[in-house]
Amino acid sequence: MLYLRATFFVIGGPDYLLADFGYIGILLIIAVLFTVSTLLLPLTLALFGIVPKKSNPTKVSTYECGMETIGKTWVQFNFRYYFFAILFVAFDVLTVFLYPWAVNLKGLGVYGLAVIVVFFAILMVGYVYAWFKGALEWK
Amino acid sequence: MEIGDFRLLAPEISLLGCVLLVILLDLFIKQKRILATVSIAGLIVSAGFTLVMWGTPPVVILSRTLAVDAFALFFKFLFLVVAALIILASQDYVNKFERFQGEYYALVLISAVGMMLLAAATDLIAIYVALELSGISLYVLVGFLKDQKSSEAGLKFLLLGAVASAVLLYGMTLVFGFTGRTCLMCIADFLQGMPATGILDNLALLLGLILLVAGFGFKIACFPFQMWVPDVYEGAPTPITAYLSVASKVAGFAVILRVFFVALGAPDWMSLNWGMLFAILSAITMTVGNIVAIVQSNIKRMLGYSSIAQAGYLLVGLATVGMATGSDTSGQSGLIFFLMSYAVTNLGAFIAVIAISNKIDSDAIDDYAGMGRQASLLAVALTFCLISLIGLPPTAGLIAKIYIFSGAVRHGLLWLVIVAVVNSCISAFYYLRVVKVMWLGVPPSKEKVPSSWALRTALAVCCLLVLLLGVVPGSFVSIAETATRFFGS
Amino acid sequence: MSVGLEHYLALSAVLFSIGLYGVLAKRNAVVILMCIEIMLNAVNISLVTFSRYVVPLLLTGQIFAIFVIVVAAAEAAVGIAIIIAIYRSRQSVDVDKFDLMKW
Repeated sequence: MLYLRATFFVIGGPDYLLADFGYIGILLIIAVLFTVSTLLLPLTLALFGIVPKKSNPTKVSTYECGMETIGKTWVQFNFRYYFFAILFVAFDVLTVFLYPWAVNLKGLGVYGLAVIVVFFAILMVGYVYAWFKGALEWK
Repeated sequence: MEIGDFRLLAPEISLLGCVLLVILLDLFIKQKRILATVSIAGLIVSAGFTLVMWGTPPVVILSRTLAVDAFALFFKFLFLVVAALIILASQDYVNKFERFQGEYYALVLISAVGMMLLAAATDLIAIYVALELSGISLYVLVGFLKDQKSSEAGLKFLLLGAVASAVLLYGMTLVFGFTGRTCLMCIADFLQGMPATGILDNLALLLGLILLVAGFGFKIACFPFQMWVPDVYEGAPTPITAYLSVASKVAGFAVILRVFFVALGAPDWMSLNWGMLFAILSAITMTVGNIVAIVQSNIKRMLGYSSIAQAGYLLVGLATVGMATGSDTSGQSGLIFFLMSYAVTNLGAFIAVIAISNKIDSDAIDDYAGMGRQASLLAVALTFCLISLIGLPPTAGLIAKIYIFSGAVRHGLLWLVIVAVVNSCISAFYYLRVVKVMWLGVPPSKEKVPSSWALRTALAVCCLLVLLLGVVPGSFVSIAETATRFFGS
Repeated sequence: MSVGLEHYLALSAVLFSIGLYGVLAKRNAVVILMCIEIMLNAVNISLVTFSRYVVPLLLTGQIFAIFVIVVAAAEAAVGIAIIIAIYRSRQSVDVDKFDLMKW
């Protein structure tokens, strides 16, 4: 187990907490301002007559852009998507182990690198297996 | 410093290498029988490493997460032997699925790696990961046949197993929160430094303890977490049922013994409480298992309930460990000896069932009629193993029961032993019913039931061990006593 | 009022109970799997909380949580795979209908 000593990873003592909440507060204000201004923008433009008031077919279409859907929108997805989803989840989540290693890259040194290489080698066996078994093909 | 630690992990690392080899070979080799040979070879190499390390002084490695002590090495060896026998016994069975034979062997081996790590783990994180490593590969194996029953069993096992591991994890979290440590020895130090109050004064710890028992209780199938057993045992491929009932259960007991003895065993105000909890669970578990087993008509279900009852007897050993004060280790050695005897006996019974059921294509006890004439050797072996499960001479079962019960009596659990003896008498009823059907029933045909040499070898090894444990138990008892040497005790 | 240890623990306990309720009450296997994920995430919250408040200088709890996340993903992947297998043969993911075997 890598008992990573907390040097810069964890936010310090309670003194720092207030300052951190201050940053969150600023973020919150910006977020609210942005939302309100984007909501008000079309209304303001309509007031000055820059955008059309009357509706037309393009304006009322779904998303106002992209392709028109063909057939029903509520369809069951092909279960082949699940295979890709499962493979994706399996390989994706394992990369979470890279974060602690990357954070303490220098401290762990060659030993850490060797461990990660072995970890990846094992993962690659799984990848090769999935590939050769045809799990990555759409058929 | 850490590089050297890996040398002590040679059994696990070599077995993991074998798993990767099997997976890669499976992609390129047409002749799947070679994979079984490779798997067995990997198990033998790993067992060799384990034997070489036997007798070395106990150490903990990799930042106190894994222990290499007599206890861990003993169980590693046991799991390797069981896995090898299971692979031998699967030889007839794997022909049922033309595809995915390589995966079958690889998953059995991965699960064995998980169990080996489980027996060695001394840190809550390592215990959780090892438990899931063995568990997840077993979920897949249970649903391996992909027919309706097998996938239903797989789904039930997975959902209940996942809930149990979540509950276990919550218990671990509470223990971690209470003590601030995850390594078992550190938890023990913390608890010993506490004022000796009562467990009721530390409700978080009490809740954590109960959740730990619940989570581990699923693995060993003790009451009230036994409902998955019959369905999963019936639906799973029979070799996997055997693997579940033997290796998985033994691994569960190994980890419970280590967690409760090393981490929570030191202060008496802790150990007496969980000792009594296990005693009560033991009485209920064996009674439920035995009584429901009587009405079963499917032999796999019957053996499932029988293994619940056996878990009840095994819990007597855990209760003894809790009730024992001072340095008496008769509870531990009794439990380890019983686990040894249970493993070979139950495995033998299941291998005989695999051999017979595979040929007559039925799991119903009534269809076993006349097996004494159709397959005499198999019937003799099954009878012998069932006698050992009852606990009659000259078998391992008798010695194991005497050993574990005498320890319990010495630590004031006489009432529990009386319950257990009454239960043994009840169990004779349903075990002997199978024997009666086999020898006195009328066979539907005179045709002999053949079996492969691999199955016969595995069955012969099991029966020989059952006999040896029953006739010359001395050396095995001393092995069990050596295996009680934990790191930190 | 400041947010402290007990608030996080209460959140975790409530989430865990919601998950457990879902496991017991829901009939769709996929939903049960989701409820199990909720339970595991509840555990993660309390792990990180304990780590922050009980042993602030060590990262034990965070590391534990990372392992839980990974194992949970593996479990979910296997779970979905088994559910697909059972859906192919039964055309249903309703656990009440899986009653081939009963005592």
